[in-house]
Amino acid sequence: MKKLFTVLAIVLVVVAPLVAQASGETAGKKSYETLQMYTALDTEEAQYYLDVFEKSTGIKVEYVRMSSGEVLARIEAEQSNPQASVWFGGSNTDHINAKSKDLLTPYKPNTDFELAPMLHADDYSWNGFYTGAIGFVSNTDFLKKNNLQPPTSWADLLNPVYKGQIEMAYPYTSGTAYTTLATIIQMKGLEGALDWWQLFDKNIHQYTKSGTACIARAGLGECAVGIAFSHDIMAKGIAMGYPLVISFPEEGTGYEVGAVSMVRGAKQIPEAKIFMDWCFTEEAQNLFIKYSRLPVNPKAIVAEGAIKLTDINLIDYDAVKMGLAKDEFVTAWRDRIGK
Amino acid sequence: MKKFKFSNTTRVNDLRKMIGEPFLLLAILVVLYLLIVFVIFPIFQVFKTSLSYEGALSLQNYFDVLSRSYYITPLINSMVLGVIVGTIGTIVGFMFAYAITRTPMKGKGVFRMIATFPMVSPPFVVALACILLFGRSGFFAGAIGNIYGLTGLVIVEVIAYSPTAFLALVGVLHAIDPALEEAAMDCGASRLKIFRTIIFPLATPGLVSAWLLVFIQSLADFGNPMILSGDFAVLSVQAYLQITGMFDLARGSTLAILLLIPTVVAFYLQKYLLSKKSYVTVTGKPTSATIKNLEWYIKAPVYAVCMFFAAVVLLFYGMVVWGSFQKLWGVDSTLTLRNYVQMWKMGKGYIVDSLVISVIVTPITGVLSMFIAYLTTRKQFPGRNFIEFSSMLTFAVPGTVVGIGYILAFNTPSILMPFTLTGTGFIIMILLVFRNLPVGIRNGVAAIQQIDPSIEEASIDLGADSSLTFRKITLPMITPAFFSGLANCFVRSMTAISAIIFVVSGKWNLITVAVLGFVDNSQYAQAAAMSLLLIAIVLIALGLIKLFTDRMGRGMNSSSILE
Repeated sequence: MKKLFTVLAIVLVVVAPLVAQASGETAGKKSYETLQMYTALDTEEAQYYLDVFEKSTGIKVEYVRMSSGEVLARIEAEQSNPQASVWFGGSNTDHINAKSKDLLTPYKPNTDFELAPMLHADDYSWNGFYTGAIGFVSNTDFLKKNNLQPPTSWADLLNPVYKGQIEMAYPYTSGTAYTTLATIIQMKGLEGALDWWQLFDKNIHQYTKSGTACIARAGLGECAVGIAFSHDIMAKGIAMGYPLVISFPEEGTGYEVGAVSMVRGAKQIPEAKIFMDWCFTEEAQNLFIKYSRLPVNPKAIVAEGAIKLTDINLIDYDAVKMGLAKDEFVTAWRDRIGK
Repeated sequence: MKKFKFSNTTRVNDLRKMIGEPFLLLAILVVLYLLIVFVIFPIFQVFKTSLSYEGALSLQNYFDVLSRSYYITPLINSMVLGVIVGTIGTIVGFMFAYAITRTPMKGKGVFRMIATFPMVSPPFVVALACILLFGRSGFFAGAIGNIYGLTGLVIVEVIAYSPTAFLALVGVLHAIDPALEEAAMDCGASRLKIFRTIIFPLATPGLVSAWLLVFIQSLADFGNPMILSGDFAVLSVQAYLQITGMFDLARGSTLAILLLIPTVVAFYLQKYLLSKKSYVTVTGKPTSATIKNLEWYIKAPVYAVCMFFAAVVLLFYGMVVWGSFQKLWGVDSTLTLRNYVQMWKMGKGYIVDSLVISVIVTPITGVLSMFIAYLTTRKQFPGRNFIEFSSMLTFAVPGTVVGIGYILAFNTPSILMPFTLTGTGFIIMILLVFRNLPVGIRNGVAAIQQIDPSIEEASIDLGADSSLTFRKITLPMITPAFFSGLANCFVRSMTAISAIIFVVSGKWNLITVAVLGFVDNSQYAQAAAMSLLLIAIVLIALGLIKLFTDRMGRGMNSSSILE
């Protein structure tokens, strides 16, 4: 047993710190450090972009893929000693929240075009590199069976035929669902929105955690209608081959701006800046075709079949106001709906 | 040796004994240090967070939470679910363990493998299979009503967690000397009476601890409710959502602490119940007994439960295998290898990292857990209760909270841990060691409790010290539990997810993170393919462990997944 303890003691007391230190001391000799990144994009998609980035700049990237909320929780918990330099992807609502907690470093990327005011924070704490609108995704088999047209207004969603057939995420877990709630609030005011939602809630089958889960679930027939972002509906639903159709509310809909930002206390600042510049280049923006995201660089090619924001009726969505009021609105929603 | 008696004289004696054994003392101090740093410190950070409100120390978060129905309902739901799953899971686990150890059932190896299969797969795979089988457009749509809610969760969690009960109970039943039963039968006792008066009472510590394990696992489960809970909100998910959705660390921590309370209560209840009886069956006296043929009225229900459970497991996993070859799971069932190609392309690095980490973590956890089990059941020393309690804690806290606690605790150097651990592979390994520890300890405790302390006392009376006694007497007798612990730990390391998501880094990423990514992205077929690869790796590794242990000639046929 003595040996056992000695081994234990050696392993845990001596080797531990050495390992911890050694792994902290790697890199440094190359001209570029390895860029540490958290991404809210799906692994496969992130990898697709980052492969091109690594090839064209020679900067290596190591990343962890998490949901947007997990990224924010983690950056907040790590703020005394940040482990990642860049937060790549995720709705700007979450980046706005991070900014209000003073977790980001402002940086205005070098672009060869003017970034519209809705696409960046006042101080460039976050910068939007793609956009997409809230839309409805419906199962075509369900529509056919019930002899229905796809819903084209928010009022259509209250139709009793959809009782227990609509799914979306919890507004407090998903940027997608919060954008939906904020859109309704902006159109009807808080009280009006909650009144409407109480009726709407009767048609809800279940709220999911992930904003995109309802797409495949509508595709599988587990629900009839889902509410999600157009690019997700295209890439994760229709392009995958599910029997789905996309539609938009004609009285107006909200939209998201997908953002990239630099974490406060970032350790690879030059690399992070190069990456953020790259996100807005024609090269990067053209890559969005594959995932039906709408590029912000006017020179970039828009995917065929992708819905342009100019094609649909958008409300004047105030992302900053909605981002800052998130706690208040979500608490009001939970107190009223009780979920 | 009387346990649970704390008069002053025995305390002084305990201390004196320990001073006489410096290595034991040193070992206890090391264990204490480790538990304080890697268990208490992170949870303390979480507790501290739950008590801070607008920068000041306050109970406000608790008032806020307990005054809202959408926090209280999940608390009640979690309890209800935990009790149901704990009970059914323990019954199923016991039936299987009984069948394996006490009946002449054919194909025990196959049954044992099937029974433990759910342990070697990431939990949410079962939930996915459940949707595809019993969902609205599933194979057997509507066969068991609405699966989104309590019904679905009970089914899925029983499948996922009764193997834990099974493993704990096989070890226990195996250790009950069949000679006792034979003696009773020779005296004319009926089978039922033997079961009621011998097997059941002797298996009680195992049963209670199995129930507790399943109950706690159900409370902390997060992957399944995330997918299947529907309107039936549970606390672990709410705590997670509070942190990752509302960015509200304080209330998320509060919910997590509330989740801890029932666990702690359950833990002490168990301890209280078990402290009153002796369960010794391994007495050092020679035994020999064989399995006798059983009456039909015992065999029939036991066999029926085993067959049924095995069939359900096969059905669920058959669905996963089939799904992994489909072009678009649920819609286009054209068979293809595309999912595997894609999975391999994306996941190579993750697989290697997962393997390296698990291989390092497993033996450390195994040794540490057996040692702690030994200390807490056999030794009297100040701090024993603390060790017993704290070593169970990480198991009870939801993974999300442990993960956040680890970041809060180890992101900057402190007096307790002078090195920054975040961003290294080391934090993942430590987290896994301490998160897997409780299962090993429970197994170890159940095994040790059945060994008569007088065997060890005899050894000490004959002049051996604690160390020699442990090595020569205790260790060989708990070897089966030890290897079962190793296997268990390896599996849990490979399939861990909820805590891990907060400590993985670009340098060290894990396979389950990739699976969760596929699930989040609704790429169920790829998720299935990757899960199957994970299962294959685990099975191969278990095979290797078995080969190794067979070589060592331990002749093990015990409470493990190794068979």
